Amino acid sequence: MKRITFVVGHYGSGKTEFAVNLAIQKKIDYLLDLDIVNPFFRSRELESFLLENNIKMIASTPLNGNYGDLPFLSKDIFLPFQKSDKCAVFDMGGNDAGALILRQFRDYIDEDVDVLMVVNVYREQTQTVDAIIRQINAIEGSSGMKITGLVNNSHLLKFTVKEDILHGDTIVSEVSKKTNLPILYTAVRNDLMDKSFHLSGETIPLTLYLRKTWL
Amino acid sequence: MAKVLMKGNEAIALAAVKGGCDAFFGYPITPQNEVPEYLSKYMNEHGKVFVQAESEVAAINMVYGAAGAGARVLTSSSSPGIALKQEGITYIAGAQLPCVICSVMRGGPGLGSIQPSQGDYNQATRGGGNGDYHVICFAPETIQETIDTMKEAFDIADYYRNPVMILVDGLIGQMMESVDFDRPVKHRFLPPKDWAATGTKNHPGKRNVINSLYLEPKELEAHNNMLAKKYALVTQNETRYEMINMEDPDYVIVAYGTMSRVARSTIEILKEKKLNVGIIRPISLWPFPKIAFDEIGKNCKGLLVTEMSMGQMIQDVQISNRGRLPIAFYGRSGGIVPEPEELAEAVMNFEKWRVE
Repeated sequence: MKRITFVVGHYGSGKTEFAVNLAIQKKIDYLLDLDIVNPFFRSRELESFLLENNIKMIASTPLNGNYGDLPFLSKDIFLPFQKSDKCAVFDMGGNDAGALILRQFRDYIDEDVDVLMVVNVYREQTQTVDAIIRQINAIEGSSGMKITGLVNNSHLLKFTVKEDILHGDTIVSEVSKKTNLPILYTAVRNDLMDKSFHLSGETIPLTLYLRKTWL
Repeated sequence: MAKVLMKGNEAIALAAVKGGCDAFFGYPITPQNEVPEYLSKYMNEHGKVFVQAESEVAAINMVYGAAGAGARVLTSSSSPGIALKQEGITYIAGAQLPCVICSVMRGGPGLGSIQPSQGDYNQATRGGGNGDYHVICFAPETIQETIDTMKEAFDIADYYRNPVMILVDGLIGQMMESVDFDRPVKHRFLPPKDWAATGTKNHPGKRNVINSLYLEPKELEAHNNMLAKKYALVTQNETRYEMINMEDPDYVIVAYGTMSRVARSTIEILKEKKLNVGIIRPISLWPFPKIAFDEIGKNCKGLLVTEMSMGQMIQDVQISNRGRLPIAFYGRSGGIVPEPEELAEAVMNFEKWRVE
């Protein structure tokens, strides 16, 4: 894993749950919530939980409290670039709108940075290879950064079956071929984990930290 | 269309289009912004009308105009924004125009917060507009039900020539679920809109006037009598509710929207404690399903009303209960969603939360 990972993707593709799980499993030092698009279900809601896991949360809230939707970014967002021994995951807002704020990091990009595109082929607007590539182009256009890898996070929440993940793998592999971007990870809800799965990239078992258990 | 994963607000937007929406007028407000965001792209690509108005007041009056011209019109907002639309809503109801209003509730009063709430029950069912009017109000509990209701809403609005409101809280607007847009919904036989202000070419010499002004006392009274008959018909035909686990329950929880989903988990928790609890889930908040309360078994010891508010549905439950059973209330506000365990505690300590 690279020292710094930006997680981008379509609205609701699962960026936040993926970013949080990745941060915990890879024992990274900082999780940065740069979502200025979504009002609910943001990683900053998990600040105290992450701290218990020795992950410092750098949230985008101007006041004490995590319940605003102001287009505000913490002054600490460059901290991971200054501390070269620390690892960080950046959880971005959705679509090209959410990725726009990546522009300010362009001068900091080196070989130790990954920009990962999370894809769920069951989201209404990223169901086909062409639609996903359009989304990649839109995000690269607004952020001024090149995506360096893909994450297959195809699921239908509690209705997900094994075939859904494999269908996602087929589509995202096709995207990978056309774009020359590697599939670095496949995210699989932890109760669906199965060693007989042949999935692209490294498998990340997912615990849904932000979803209410009764949903 | 197979199952897709949709955010509640996006689903509201796409379902409106599937229900025949011709035009959208609105003004941004969290937590419903994905509705106009989705439609701003979709309506433009499909040759339909999308206007981000200069205010909520302007938007609802654009709805009034477009509905008067016979279009199927949607507006969407959240709590303080719906408050601003109230004047327009009573004009639309008074002029007997169909439209669909989506309300995604956030914390109140005033600016409140952007977290989910059910604090606009009274706003939706009593309204803030003047005069003897009603808004037909449906409160779905899942994104699938929201889609199915929205697809049907334009038919209902056209049939009764009255505003229909889809009322959800911010949680339903913001969360994701896998849904199917192709589920069949009921369609009504709809006569042509020969009342619409579309020019005189189809009916030379006769002008259609869209209006809610009746200066003659007898004319206005006749108008109100006619509206009252219509609302009686709506009550008869459109009252909707769901009875969940209602075979001889020890207690009944009364909950709608997100809270009925929480209550479903509470039933399971209390089953383990040998307590049999049912749910009355009002789906239409106006007309309120009073008749559901006549079907409660003899051994029921009380009704627990639960809402993400300080308790606004209690009055309708009191009216429907007609003094028969004790009533308790458990609610959280400020954007806090009660957990199933909290509701279970409230049922077990019924007397502590008793209001009647």
